Amino acid sequence: MKIKNKLLVGFGFYTLLAVAMGCFMYLELHTIISRLAYVKSADDIVNNALETRRYEKNLLLFNDKGAINELDHYITLLRKNIGVLKKEIVKKIGAQEFAKLSGQIDEYEQSIHAIARNPADKGLIEKVRIIAREIQATIDAVAGGERASIDYLLAHLNRSMILLLFTIAAFIIAGAIINMKLAASISNPIRDLEEATKRVGGGDLSWRSELTGRDEIASLGMSFNRMQERLSAARQSLELAITELHEKQEQLLESEKLASLGRIAAGVAHEINNPLAIVNEKAGLMQDIIGISDEFQNKDKFMSLIQGIVASVDRCRAITHHLLGYARPTESVMETMSLNDVLADVKGFLHKELEDKRIAMETNFPVDLPQIRSDKGQLEQVVLNIVRNAIEAVSEGGHINISSGMKDSKTALISIADDGPGIPQDKVKHLFEPFFTTKGKKGTGLGLFVSYGIVKKLGGMITAESKSGRGTTFTIQIPVDFRQ
Amino acid sequence: MSKKEIKVLLVDDEVEFVDTLGQRLKMRGLKVDIVYDGEQALSFVKKTAPDVIVLDLKMPGLDGMEVLREVKKLKPDVQVIILTGHGTDKDDEQARKLGGFDFIRKPADIDLLVVKIKEAFSEKIERAMTAITFAEAGVFETAERIIKKDE
Repeated sequence: MKIKNKLLVGFGFYTLLAVAMGCFMYLELHTIISRLAYVKSADDIVNNALETRRYEKNLLLFNDKGAINELDHYITLLRKNIGVLKKEIVKKIGAQEFAKLSGQIDEYEQSIHAIARNPADKGLIEKVRIIAREIQATIDAVAGGERASIDYLLAHLNRSMILLLFTIAAFIIAGAIINMKLAASISNPIRDLEEATKRVGGGDLSWRSELTGRDEIASLGMSFNRMQERLSAARQSLELAITELHEKQEQLLESEKLASLGRIAAGVAHEINNPLAIVNEKAGLMQDIIGISDEFQNKDKFMSLIQGIVASVDRCRAITHHLLGYARPTESVMETMSLNDVLADVKGFLHKELEDKRIAMETNFPVDLPQIRSDKGQLEQVVLNIVRNAIEAVSEGGHINISSGMKDSKTALISIADDGPGIPQDKVKHLFEPFFTTKGKKGTGLGLFVSYGIVKKLGGMITAESKSGRGTTFTIQIPVDFRQ
Repeated sequence: MSKKEIKVLLVDDEVEFVDTLGQRLKMRGLKVDIVYDGEQALSFVKKTAPDVIVLDLKMPGLDGMEVLREVKKLKPDVQVIILTGHGTDKDDEQARKLGGFDFIRKPADIDLLVVKIKEAFSEKIERAMTAITFAEAGVFETAERIIKKDE
């Protein structure tokens, strides 16, 4: 129900109450007034009859000549008053008896006048007395009883008053209940909505209005819900965007950090190469000279020492060339290929190493994976590098899982997971940095650094997830068709 | 022809390096001349034509890449091997475009370097022979084109 209608119902109820009370009062007053009028007339009739009898007595007993005029006066009044109450009297005694009463009054009047003219007529006097008594009896029967009407009226008034009080009380209670309900039905939803707006204002967007019905507040509630849903949706997408932004930012920072590390490393490598070349040539010349010299004491010892220098230079060269490889903007050889074939090839390459360590390699290559366009050789190098790391990480009889898939229609995924000892959380973020290694002296710390550079160059991304004791998972994202 | 001494010009501002390298190459039967910057290299080439130049890229004054360009203008048949500690793949590409024979990174293995020098020398001889063959046949244009191919 609409609020307007609710208010109209409340107002209507009280209007109805007022009208009903008015009608009731009117009817009650009407009854009382007509009763009073009846009682007054009946009383008049009885008085008239008594006065008539008094003057009749004066006339008959004391022969008071003047009494005849009073008699006429009272008989006329009697007749008039009986006329006023004719309807009630007829109702009480019937039309016949009423006619008889009128006839008796006429007869009484004539007889009185006859007696006034001839006071000695005893027979007539007797007749008048008889008629008078009959009239008196009839009047007492008709009007005399009505004196009791005053008691009745009082009782009736009392009852009416009590009834009136109860009715008013009942109406007030009923009205109060109805109006309270109506008021509650208007104000409760408003309060709910107010509560809701407070919650929403406080940031809780999960609240929903449960208002039903067809009034303005319910429809306000529904509008509110729609607004809520939009707000929630907007906030969700905003949060999503912010999360993505954070991720992107982190990736950007990470890649910038690695790029500058790469530049520094490459710069150092460049600078080291020249003195290293001198060491190389000097040692080489010593080797050449000793090589052609005649036998002398400790010749072999010198040769092996120089061999050690040259071997160390070789190691340094491997490192500097590796580092320069990171910064090297080589042209990639793009070709269309099946990612699954690349992964299968890598598995093939590592067959022996896997067997030696009794490692179970599970592969999950969806057959419907689309072909991608990328540099096969470089991609192979990256996957090989990561799987080799995994082989080194897991213990004998461990597991490695390689799977391919699609992140979305434009990005392919390669995931390489092992159940090795994992990498502590604080070290994972350094995994791709140059010279970071978890293999101790066995690793150069350049493998993942170079892999990172390659994947980056192919327009992709490489991430690692690891927890101590839970193994490590590398995920490589590669664009399906990378345009340089 | 193959018994002929290969004339190698080493160009590098790193004296310690280039002198030592020179000695080692001499020990391996090559005829070695050494200069320490780009200008000297060019004036050397103008006077006498070496068979192969081993050229550093990063030098004060005229750098290796400019020297390579000039050498190929002056004497297109002289073969140039870049030997550098600073080279990127981009430099590699550019050097080859300018007619460089090969691109080796320092520190280099002496045996590899000698192999490359010999290869460069063979290349030079082969070109010359082809040019002569064409020239004898009267196809001067082709001969010239082969000689100036790298420009």
